[in-house]
Amino acid sequence: MRNLKIILAFLISFSFSSAAIAGDWSKIRIGTEGAYEPWNFTDASGNLVGAELDLARDLCDRMNAECTFVQQDWDGIIPALVNGKYDVIMAGMSVTDERKKTISFSKAYMTEPARFFTLNNSPLSTFSSAKNLNLDDDGSATSGTISALNNAMKGMNVGVTVATIHEDFANKYLDSNVKVYPTQDEMNLDLAAGRIDAMLCDVGTAEAFMETSGGSNVVTFGPNVFGGLLGEGVGAGIRQGDADLKAMFDKAIADAAADGTISKISMQWFGKDLAP
Amino acid sequence: MTELFSLGSEGWGDEMLRGALMTVLVSASSLLLGIVIGIIFAACKLSNIFLLKLIANIYTTIIRGIPELLVIYLLFFGGSGAVMYVAKIFGYNGYIELNAFTIGTIAVGAISGAYSTEVIRGAVNAVPKGQFEAGKTLGLKPYPLNMMVIFPQVARIALPGIGNVWQITLKDTALISVTGLVEIMRQSRIAAGSTHEPFIFYTAAIILYLLITRLSNIFFDKAEKKYSQGFVTRSAS
Repeated sequence: MRNLKIILAFLISFSFSSAAIAGDWSKIRIGTEGAYEPWNFTDASGNLVGAELDLARDLCDRMNAECTFVQQDWDGIIPALVNGKYDVIMAGMSVTDERKKTISFSKAYMTEPARFFTLNNSPLSTFSSAKNLNLDDDGSATSGTISALNNAMKGMNVGVTVATIHEDFANKYLDSNVKVYPTQDEMNLDLAAGRIDAMLCDVGTAEAFMETSGGSNVVTFGPNVFGGLLGEGVGAGIRQGDADLKAMFDKAIADAAADGTISKISMQWFGKDLAP
Repeated sequence: MTELFSLGSEGWGDEMLRGALMTVLVSASSLLLGIVIGIIFAACKLSNIFLLKLIANIYTTIIRGIPELLVIYLLFFGGSGAVMYVAKIFGYNGYIELNAFTIGTIAVGAISGAYSTEVIRGAVNAVPKGQFEAGKTLGLKPYPLNMMVIFPQVARIALPGIGNVWQITLKDTALISVTGLVEIMRQSRIAAGSTHEPFIFYTAAIILYLLITRLSNIFFDKAEKKYSQGFVTRSAS
């Protein structure tokens, strides 16, 4: 399924890469999913809200652009950008090499390590390891931490969500049975039900689940995982032809990070600072 | 829980109901489009012209043989890409959005049309040959013969099959959620992701789908009874 989407996005980008309307960026259309609390979600009256919506409005002020938001299902969010339905993706999307084959990215506006989560009655809850697992560092500390993780989770089921950096990580480094879920929420339910022994995901989304009654006995274990194929963080997805738009976003994001705006928005929605 | 489904700005009740309405609208227009396509291609398949038969066979083989999601992807992303490509030849470089409702209806209609074709073809074949001959003997011209003698009998035989196609069509509309059209599936995914209550909202989606199915079954039962007047039948459902 995921390969199908990438192939389709490729086909479309090759045949119709002219979809970009170059030059005039006084009006920018931003595509988002609207179902990924607290990054971007929908309130009960149908309004788009969330950290990325606040950030997008701030960035648009800095770029003197008038921004409109377009909602798009996560499946198909990249093909729709390539096709020109909107100009920018801001949907909690991590910058990865695989995605860079199809679209380009602004510099990261938020970074968040991935972590493992399990239930508090699982033997994994007492697993201890190094605090950080930096995949950019390919020394013995890294391989030691990975093999310790693999030993602890031998024969267990580990959940990840489809087409994410976490799935790439699991496929490359983990020996466990990897179970791939369409959405975070379905994975949450299966973790709480004991159908998987652990899940690997962004800290923020897991913490939002841990605050609900269904996730009250979920705990985290293992190291903060970042770097390498986990990418640089969350950035704005932009068509490869729109280098001028990418430059505008890079500058606006750098300014917003420098004057503390991103930290402020991050504290408000995540309760911690995810500024790059 | 009740406040989650209250109407107005505090709850998701009104959004879910709007999603259900959208599902019914897309399903109904897709089914109608599918029946029109089905009549045309069934006529092609039953004709003596080789080319028409071939075209109809290619259509039903391809559509019934590939996953529905692929048809929707191709029409939605490929469709607007193709339109823009043509527009560019004429010097227009902007983005042209094909309305998600229209594309969804065309995609799901094309799918249900392939199944309807077979249902209608089978129904026409099931009308005894003597009925055609008797009509001709009475001196009926083709139009009154088809409308007054053949169609009511075809409808009687096709209705249970069309009822089946309706249920498939209803479920296929869930796939259009990838285009951003807010029907039951997309709406419950938005609500689930925004409130972290997937269980509640997906259960609500199940109830809505079953409710629509149940209500439409009543309609199809009535229609079957109407077209079965004068026949001894075992009751439907």
